[in-house]
Amino acid sequence: MKTIILSTAIRLLTPVFLLFSVYILLRGHNHPGGGFIGGLIGSIAFVFHVLAHGANATARVFFSLTLYHHPRQSGHSRTRYFMQIMNANIRGRRKGRNMENRWNYIFVRVRPVYLIAFGLLLAVASGTIGLLAGQPFMSAFWLDVHLPVLGSLGTPLLFDAGVYLLVMGMVLKMIFTMSKE
Amino acid sequence: MNPSLLLTLPLLLPLYGAVLCLLFWQRNQAQAVIAATVQLGLSISAGLLLYEVSQTGILTTQIGKWPAPFGITLVSDLFSALILVSASIVGIAVFLFSLQGLDSKRKKYGYYPLLLFLQMGVSGVCLTGDIFNLYVWFEVLLICCFALLALGGTKAQLEGTLKYVTINIFASGILLTGVGVVYSLYGSLNIAELALIVRQPDHPNLQLLTLCSVFFLTGFGIKSAIFPLFFWLPASYHTPPIAISAFIAGLISKIGIYTLIRLFTLVFIPKANFMLPMLLLLSALTMVIGVIGAAAQKDFRKILSFHIISQIGYMLMGLAIYTPLALAGSIYFIIHNILVKTNLFLVSGVVAQQHHTFSLKKLGGIYLKQPFLALLFLLSALALAGIPPLSGFWGKFMLAMGGFKAGNYGIVATSLCVSLVTLFSMTKIWNEVFWKAKPLKVSKPSGAIPAKSRYPKFLYMPVIFLMVFILLISLYAQPFINLAQQAANQLLYTNSYIEAVLKR
Repeated sequence: MKTIILSTAIRLLTPVFLLFSVYILLRGHNHPGGGFIGGLIGSIAFVFHVLAHGANATARVFFSLTLYHHPRQSGHSRTRYFMQIMNANIRGRRKGRNMENRWNYIFVRVRPVYLIAFGLLLAVASGTIGLLAGQPFMSAFWLDVHLPVLGSLGTPLLFDAGVYLLVMGMVLKMIFTMSKE
Repeated sequence: MNPSLLLTLPLLLPLYGAVLCLLFWQRNQAQAVIAATVQLGLSISAGLLLYEVSQTGILTTQIGKWPAPFGITLVSDLFSALILVSASIVGIAVFLFSLQGLDSKRKKYGYYPLLLFLQMGVSGVCLTGDIFNLYVWFEVLLICCFALLALGGTKAQLEGTLKYVTINIFASGILLTGVGVVYSLYGSLNIAELALIVRQPDHPNLQLLTLCSVFFLTGFGIKSAIFPLFFWLPASYHTPPIAISAFIAGLISKIGIYTLIRLFTLVFIPKANFMLPMLLLLSALTMVIGVIGAAAQKDFRKILSFHIISQIGYMLMGLAIYTPLALAGSIYFIIHNILVKTNLFLVSGVVAQQHHTFSLKKLGGIYLKQPFLALLFLLSALALAGIPPLSGFWGKFMLAMGGFKAGNYGIVATSLCVSLVTLFSMTKIWNEVFWKAKPLKVSKPSGAIPAKSRYPKFLYMPVIFLMVFILLISLYAQPFINLAQQAANQLLYTNSYIEAVLKR
């Protein structure tokens, strides 16, 4: 379903969906919202992108990263080497620079399974903090700071973030699998 | 040790293990190492829990510090600790078997994380103190079962899984309805608080308790293959590879019986004029149907699957007689059956590994080639049938004693006759697989055969490992019978459970 209207609209709407999902995630502690629904809303962005461009394009654009590197030449200091690598990995991404020809590169792919696993890990770890402190599992701990957008910081927020990643990974896994048919 | 740590470790260890396995998605070796560590840790923590519970009594923890009737409670009494320990032992054995006995394709598609999630579900069902959470943990467990049964996606497996999924989703619907009805009638889902509420003689909705209990009897009855709706079990348990079906067949239907015993002792006190006779009838029919079904089968694993049904009848019999001795018999029988049934399935896996079939007709002559394997099978089979020094005898003995003391002669006679037929089935397997000469015609392999392995002798390890525990509870039975009796007393005299949960 490759129409120019859809793909243009998706390009504009993707950041809106993602921002809104994070907003829903953060307000979830005291208001309607939270990790689950936030993850669902956030994954809408990727679902639409799959509809407009296909699963392979989505995986390439959002869930993969090419990292460039090359061995340090003799006579170059470590700092200079570091700056070169940073430069290649940031400015080298602009169009028209054929980095692949001159640099070695590694292709990093974020599979949906990794999102699921990392989300679960975050959620369980937030509960384990209470256990390590000698209290029951999932006892909540709050920091005393109150940030303007984030609200209070504490282990329940960590749990919600874990759920957010988990749900998003689940939806992505389903979408990628189904769009292969 | 800190009770909250002891109670959450059996849930957290498999969960962390499964998450790590997911992070190492494409590395089977790393997954196997993680799973090995977790299985070891799980059995140690379950053992510590059993020790602590037997020393200090019932342990509880309130998740997130929310007090008891409102928050989520984790409770462990002796019964749940015993089931946890036997589940972790079986977990180690099945893990050892899977190292050589499962093809790498299935390992690649997430066998280890699924197994760990399944064990987390089992721990959750055993430890939860809340009916709704019980339902949720059961769903966790069942979803892992669905995935494991279908893992690999052969035609026979998908057919079996479809039957399993259909009937189990139906049962889950009934269960969820029951949970809703209980909540609307009694206003609480915490098991301990419900136990208090239903013991108030003037509660307005007390008449409807039997109605609620029927929802749970039907739901968990289907999931543990009690008489009218048992047919899904032999239709699905023989399809997946042994490393999967041994765990599911050995453990999961017993977990259904565990929840039935838990709920029918604490919450739904069975009435002597309706519920107890019905349970008696169901248990007798379950025993008889299972054993008759087994007599007609000609496949190693199908015979074993039908015997699961008949043994579920024995476990239900203890609940139906409803005296401390009979319940202790049930508890001992559940533990014995988890170990022995898994071991028999593993033996069938070792046999199929070498001869590439499960069909009794095509097998034969194994006694000559592998006498040690034949010995291991014979010991497990005799334990299952209940020949005196072995573990099945003690369970059946306690059940029969309980039945005689309570005056239920009919069920005792039925159970003894069923034992004889069980012995007949086991002799049939012995004659066909081990004793008779190997048929000359070499046949094509059929069904889900375990993978070829480089070290076929390694497959003996899990069988020997389980055999050690079976011999331990057979020959050194007194401490375990004592434990079972204490557990039965805790179940029937509910005050200690209620106090432990609500007064903290």
